[in-house]
Amino acid sequence: MSRTPQAPLFVREMGLPARFGMYALLSLLIALVDTRYDALEGARSSVNMVLHPVRAALAAPWDWFREVGGFFVTHGELQAENLRLSEERSRLLILQQDRQALAVENARLRNLLSLPERPGVVGVAAEILTMAADPFSRKVIINRGQTHGLVAGQPVIDGAGLVGQVTRLYPLTAEVTLLTDRDQGAPVLNMRNGLRVLVSGTGSDNLLEVRFLDMHADIKAGDLLYTSGIDGVYPAGIPVAEVVRTDPPRHTPFAKAVCRPIGGVGRFRQVVVLNVQTSVPAVPARQPGPRPTGARP
Amino acid sequence: MSRGGEKTGKAFLPKGEAVVEPPSRTLVWGLIAFGLVLNLMPWPDGLLWLVPDFALMMLLYWGIRMPRLAGLGLAFALGLVVDVERSLHLGLNALAFTAAAFVVLSLRRRLEKFDALRQTLQLAPVFVGKEALVLTLGLWFGHGESDWRWLAGGILAALVWVPLAWSLDRLTGRPVEPGE
Repeated sequence: MSRTPQAPLFVREMGLPARFGMYALLSLLIALVDTRYDALEGARSSVNMVLHPVRAALAAPWDWFREVGGFFVTHGELQAENLRLSEERSRLLILQQDRQALAVENARLRNLLSLPERPGVVGVAAEILTMAADPFSRKVIINRGQTHGLVAGQPVIDGAGLVGQVTRLYPLTAEVTLLTDRDQGAPVLNMRNGLRVLVSGTGSDNLLEVRFLDMHADIKAGDLLYTSGIDGVYPAGIPVAEVVRTDPPRHTPFAKAVCRPIGGVGRFRQVVVLNVQTSVPAVPARQPGPRPTGARP
Repeated sequence: MSRGGEKTGKAFLPKGEAVVEPPSRTLVWGLIAFGLVLNLMPWPDGLLWLVPDFALMMLLYWGIRMPRLAGLGLAFALGLVVDVERSLHLGLNALAFTAAAFVVLSLRRRLEKFDALRQTLQLAPVFVGKEALVLTLGLWFGHGESDWRWLAGGILAALVWVPLAWSLDRLTGRPVEPGE
């Protein structure tokens, strides 16, 4: 039998179990550090910088295929779509006029009541590249990242409503945790009566829920939930969910409302990352006055 | 004429003396990198849980045949790259890959005597165990809930192992035991 060239004649190294123990300990240490601190984000970004072009190159033939498929639409289909779009456009224009008038009126009223201005919203358009292969959470990868000015924590919406939030940034891409992720939540307002609740994901693609609801809370099927804007993350007024049904309290003292996301969570490819300009109200200057004395015994 | 052509040109499938020559370092690492590329393919979004971990399969294949080239160190590094690829906490797949490589390297002497079909019966627990280890570790490190469907990826890996190992045996010229 011929000796393989890679095998040394005399083996001087640790045994297999000892080496395994060492690597296992190192893995656990890295996992612990990565869970608690951001120290390894640089290494993660640089590996991702290498993986991203490979992934993009592999996805390219599929994209071309889809584009070529989209090229062969019939004249009739185009005409029908054109008609539909122009109808939609005129409808939206009417709404837009209404909205402008309302915005001006709102600004004037706010000025009158000396309320702070509502935060402005500017968006960055992005496209969803893939779903992240993550067995623990619902995330998608979008084709905009640090170099396009994205910041972790920005809300992501599509044409219909809220989709999720940017949770991890890479130089050219970003990870968006979807609204339907189990650990994701959004503060919302019931459009019908102004009831403020928290809507959370359930881990299922088309279900959200309002947990820990008061037994007598006024919320019923068909109610629309919009972001309330009180968290400083999501701007107010983005459609989030529609209540499907309410479950009366069973085994727990709380009721639960099951909702359906309005935004195309996991359906659309085009999304907008909102650049929320939060206006933190200025702290009023403290009036110099006599310190309360003798309050403490 | 055809005999002359065979003498000068290199055969696609290695024959005779070429069979005894061990696969080169470039080939082994190239095929492991190819496994990683297969992982990165644009698989349909709804079926990601069903896709077997090709990087692990390539690693274990070469762990059985060339343990000097595909050892624990490479398993650890490959696991870290897969962690980045799946955007998990770093270290989860690194530990799972190292553990799988450890099991396979310990059973190497037995596994290398078997053909692909018998190997897969022994490797199926390793593939499923690797997925289970990642899912359990994820729970431990504070991910909310695991999607246990991902265990199916391990079962599918055991099924894919048969054609994969069979074709790699043929393409890279594994010496055939006289008993087989």
